[in-house]
Amino acid sequence: MAVLPPDLDASAFALLLEELRGAVGADWVWSSDDDLGPYRDSFSPVWDTAEERHASAAVAPADVPQVQAIVRLAGKYKVPLFPISTGKNYGYGGPSPNVSGSVVLDLKRLNQVLEVDDKRNFALVEPGVSYFDLYRHIEERGLKVMIDCPDPGWGSPIGNSLERGIGYTMPQFRDHFGASCGMEVVLPNGELMRTGMGALPDAKTWQEYRYGFGPDPAGLFAQGNFGIVTKMGFRLMPKPEYYRTGLITVPRRRDFVKLVEHVNYLSDSSMCGEAVYGSPLSRLMGDSQFAALATKLGGPSDAEMDAAAERAGLPSWQVDLQFFGPEATTKANWEYAKDRILSDIPGAKAIDGDHFPLPATEEQLLNTTQPYQTGIRRAGALGVPSLGIWRIVGDDGHVGFFPVLPRSGEAVFEAQRVLGDALKEFPLRPFFSATTAPLYWHSHCFQLVFAPSVKRSDPDHNAIVHRAMKKVVAVAAEHGWGDYRAAPIYQDDVADTYSFNNHSLRRFHEQLKDAIDPDGIIAPGRGGVWPRRFRK
Amino acid sequence: MMDRRELLKWGVAVPVAASVPAAAIAAAPDGVDALVLDSRVAGAELAGLTAPVTHVIDGDVTALWYHTLDALWRQPGFVLGGITGSDALFVLERLAVDRGRRVISRKELRASDAGGVAAISWVIAPVHPSVTKA
Repeated sequence: MAVLPPDLDASAFALLLEELRGAVGADWVWSSDDDLGPYRDSFSPVWDTAEERHASAAVAPADVPQVQAIVRLAGKYKVPLFPISTGKNYGYGGPSPNVSGSVVLDLKRLNQVLEVDDKRNFALVEPGVSYFDLYRHIEERGLKVMIDCPDPGWGSPIGNSLERGIGYTMPQFRDHFGASCGMEVVLPNGELMRTGMGALPDAKTWQEYRYGFGPDPAGLFAQGNFGIVTKMGFRLMPKPEYYRTGLITVPRRRDFVKLVEHVNYLSDSSMCGEAVYGSPLSRLMGDSQFAALATKLGGPSDAEMDAAAERAGLPSWQVDLQFFGPEATTKANWEYAKDRILSDIPGAKAIDGDHFPLPATEEQLLNTTQPYQTGIRRAGALGVPSLGIWRIVGDDGHVGFFPVLPRSGEAVFEAQRVLGDALKEFPLRPFFSATTAPLYWHSHCFQLVFAPSVKRSDPDHNAIVHRAMKKVVAVAAEHGWGDYRAAPIYQDDVADTYSFNNHSLRRFHEQLKDAIDPDGIIAPGRGGVWPRRFRK
Repeated sequence: MMDRRELLKWGVAVPVAASVPAAAIAAAPDGVDALVLDSRVAGAELAGLTAPVTHVIDGDVTALWYHTLDALWRQPGFVLGGITGSDALFVLERLAVDRGRRVISRKELRASDAGGVAAISWVIAPVHPSVTKA
């Protein structure tokens, strides 16, 4: 499906392509349908509909000067660029742009691990470096640091962190943008800028002190469209000596409130890694009577759920805890967690889990010896990139809505009920019930997940998914829960919900965009930020 | 190297789709350099199938990628065939594109199961000049 950039005719587009070929070499510019196929969003619920966004071309520069040259050419022709790192942002739009006709700027050839320091514990990488690449670099050199990677691990640290992606280790590393320190950016006029200490020539602390002096604009480049990040630093965790797990269960539904408060304390005190919550009662969802109770309009009462748990002989909630560090401290932290929680919640129980020195063996990474059912995906928990999660991705992928919630049991109960009720009109499997547990990915909030699958062979199903996504974004926002990340086709919907004081945040972003990129050269529409040219 | 006749026998080599670039067809040699068999979908009848190298996976391509393909696909050449679940092929196809390669043939051997996973035979070959030129 050939498309042209906005406001550009075919002959001018041909001239642009010719100039791009001159800048990067003919082999690295693509514009045929075949070549652009990989730049479509494979998981799109609007696949082959008028709403799908298509690139007009793709270009892959080899270095930063070529990136600058491309940006200047895009400015000359007023053509939007859509930068991608490795383009693996599936569930959130993949490599597809916000504006049809954009030229995808594929940064996969900027693939150098520039530095890993295992004494000061940081890395500096280019956008085409994947988590696998960084992991291999560290392992092959025997460096004593551990990465925190998403699952799957084929994306790039830069791309993932700029999407505010997450991992599964200790709190200060799981928030990937939060763990970044220092970036190099090509601005919409083609100029090169460095943030933080990188702005001070000869500074040796670019990856150690993120602020430098004066305002720090680094946050503008996450889910934003103010520049193209070509280098970025990340703090790394010193490789721990030992890993320990343990499970705590609580009997009653309302016990979840106290359980969460205790785990918040442990996490915020840096005593544990990602806590993986679950409800053993979710095993009963195959029972139609129980499923009807757990998803009933308005939600079940605590007494009803407690009675069901008692009948089944199951606890209402559990949390998988993980500890990193010297063996003695992992043991002490686990003992402390047990004492703290079991002494406060009647009927709470603890089970010791696997524990072993690091690095883990292949068998330990498979996580098959845990003496209880665990929700932990061990590879990710230990910073080892994996592709195994694709075995559980059904149909033609999915879209994702992950509302941000307070870290409290009450908030989870309310969201279960509100979102469950809101989605009842759609013939999709229930994502929210009284057994739905929160994700504790970002370090200081909870999230829930709504990720319905898409089916290219079933446009009616996809249309239902599309409507459900738009509704759940709106309903969640009415209750103060906003999405943290979205595909281009939903970014305006999500941005619209961040509307305090007549959308003052969006208007501020628009003022900035108009000032530095009035023609919308860099990803117009990304993050819901449109320049004047596209706001007509 | 497995020849085309043997590939055809096992349903791996199929007519190349009309949309495949001519360069891909030209780049594809007579056989594959290695074969990937997914134990979830490749049945006992494939037990005797041989290729210069056979990689058996259980749907998870992590080890195949990390220990083998990541390095091989940085170099020119290397044609890979496989009979895998559609989910494993999805992953391999995306990784292949990053390294200038494409799926040049694809045939559904078994329709999608309840989990949406079909059995597919396929061939991935280098198409970009950076990996087709010696």
